Amino acid sequence: MAIKISQAERMLNLLALLVDRNRPLTLRQIRQELGKQYPDGDEAARAAFERDKAALREMRIPIETKTLGGDAAGEVTYWVNRSNYELSDLRLSDEERIALQLAVATVHLGAQHGEEALWKLGGERAMQSTSLSVNIGLVDQNMSAITDAVMQRRTLNFEYKGEKRQVDPYGMLSRSGFWYIIGFDHLRKDKRVFRVDRIEGKVASSQTRAFKTPSGFDVAAAVPTEKQMLAAGDGEETTAIVLVDGPLVAGVRNEFGDGAVIKERANGSVEFSIPCGNLSAFRLWLFAMVESAEVLAPPRVRQQVIEWLEDLAAGKS
Amino acid sequence: MKSKKASVKKTVKKATIKKPAKKAVIKKTAIKKTLKKPVKKASRRGPRSAAQRVTGLLVMLPWIMQRKRVKISTMAKQFGLTETELMDDIQMAAVCGVPPYSPDALIDVFMDDGMVVAEVPLVFSRPLKLSTAELFAISVMAKTALQLPGADKKGPLSTALAKIAPLMPSGAETIKVELPDAKFVKELRYAATTGERHDIEYFSPASQKRSNRVITARKVFEDSGHWYVAADDHQSGEDRIFRIDRIERLAAVGIFDVVEQIFETDPQWFASTMQQVTLRVEPEARWIVESYPYISRVTKKIKSHNVVEITMSITSEQWLGRMLLRAGNGVKVVKPVEFKNLGKLSAQKVLARYVAGGSAK
Repeated sequence: MAIKISQAERMLNLLALLVDRNRPLTLRQIRQELGKQYPDGDEAARAAFERDKAALREMRIPIETKTLGGDAAGEVTYWVNRSNYELSDLRLSDEERIALQLAVATVHLGAQHGEEALWKLGGERAMQSTSLSVNIGLVDQNMSAITDAVMQRRTLNFEYKGEKRQVDPYGMLSRSGFWYIIGFDHLRKDKRVFRVDRIEGKVASSQTRAFKTPSGFDVAAAVPTEKQMLAAGDGEETTAIVLVDGPLVAGVRNEFGDGAVIKERANGSVEFSIPCGNLSAFRLWLFAMVESAEVLAPPRVRQQVIEWLEDLAAGKS
Repeated sequence: MKSKKASVKKTVKKATIKKPAKKAVIKKTAIKKTLKKPVKKASRRGPRSAAQRVTGLLVMLPWIMQRKRVKISTMAKQFGLTETELMDDIQMAAVCGVPPYSPDALIDVFMDDGMVVAEVPLVFSRPLKLSTAELFAISVMAKTALQLPGADKKGPLSTALAKIAPLMPSGAETIKVELPDAKFVKELRYAATTGERHDIEYFSPASQKRSNRVITARKVFEDSGHWYVAADDHQSGEDRIFRIDRIERLAAVGIFDVVEQIFETDPQWFASTMQQVTLRVEPEARWIVESYPYISRVTKKIKSHNVVEITMSITSEQWLGRMLLRAGNGVKVVKPVEFKNLGKLSAQKVLARYVAGGSAK
């Protein structure tokens, strides 16, 4: 009669057996070796074994199989090749482990994967707080599927701006609190940038190694900066002259550089040349300064700003 | 709520000032952009599944075999288990092994005098391969840490990363993290480790005013593309968060407070006493929902299209006025009633500058 044993204990014994024996075993042999750990009946034993096998595979333990021929035709053998699931020794020094530990304590991803990696690399999770931290949170529901697709070169399928997209994700970038995917969009037949938090619904991914990343591909250069976004439009006017009052001058100069300065006035205000090809982005940038900035030229852009303000001031909606 | 634990890290020089009693939350000071959503650590509920226990053991067994002896309490804390859960797992592993399950064929792990002991490795002495999620996490974390001010770019972190990089199936260059410019970050981080007070000149874009304050930096952190410092503000006697790029001048004042560590991962941006507003956000202004922290969010169907209503805390009327101006007609104040015309009033104020004839050259 089968002995009473927890599934966890049986799974651990099954894995230990498959790892230790170093040769393929049939279920019959496994049941013999494990004694009475599986139920007595063939069907119940098979069902319990299948559950254990599925759970171990879920843990990324590659249980391999082969169907036998000859006298044992149809019987399946199972084995685990240690080198397929064990981490090879990376020969990390103690200093390197401590450096990784500090990096994991400092950079917050919103998931525990960093700590898990650290344990596998023989390190320890820091139990003390650091005086510095960085939050590049991966809180999106699709994040693990997307990172896996980028790492394994799987094609992604998702909905974006109401359209079904099929994308070969060449890379990912974290900038200003957002994660971006940069890849080849099969719908547009061109390279495109997608913001991860704007993907609608769940992503699905293909098999691994589905595409090749172009050589020399630069992730950061592929995503326009805020400054480039201001210029990246099809507006008729490409630059505007904006007068910025003294208190805000340093910030604008910092953002656009000395090259953007047209004129420094005696009262401390400065006229800047600012890209405005994308008027929506320009509006967001301009109105952040409220009444401390004013568009002087060109007349068409100044008039547009006045119209926006008149609309709002009249309470139109 | 905030939890702090004091620990003296350095001999206090010159004068040591005892910290005044303060409110229990950090008050947000003139922050434009903050956390999008609070990240809460998952707490374990109910019994663990067989798969969870086995997965945990396959990580813990090689780890303990490498160390031989570790205190039960230390190991439980390290792996986020209760001591009972850890002891159950170790007891279970201790009776597992390979047939014939004789003493020398069992996993040699046991508990002795408050310690977990693993002496002769049999099976499970090597860790599992890193999953893609783990590889992604560790390499992103290391690469990000290498960009921090003061990081040793040729030191052990860099060599560790080089050893991990060949495991990345798609190559290490496919994932990048950009951090914002870091003026004063190094100085403030150092200040947090010494407890030295600093005199700062701080600019608030909402009120367009500069103020001088004396602060004791406690923690420096980056969030959503900006650097912040959580500090004791000696002007208000409260804990406050300052955006570092709005600090225009920084000078040490030579007075040292006791160094404190802030343990919380997620900053408390808002005091409970702060004004709350409810906004109706149209799709074209969704950047508001994506960029600012909110207390609650509801999607509603109005005139056959979806709008989002969010309730959020605001730091000042000027701050809200500025946001309404930027969002234009994409956002409306639902409540309180006194702010319903705030967007309109803000627009009138700016318009006045234009209709007055503009600023002549």
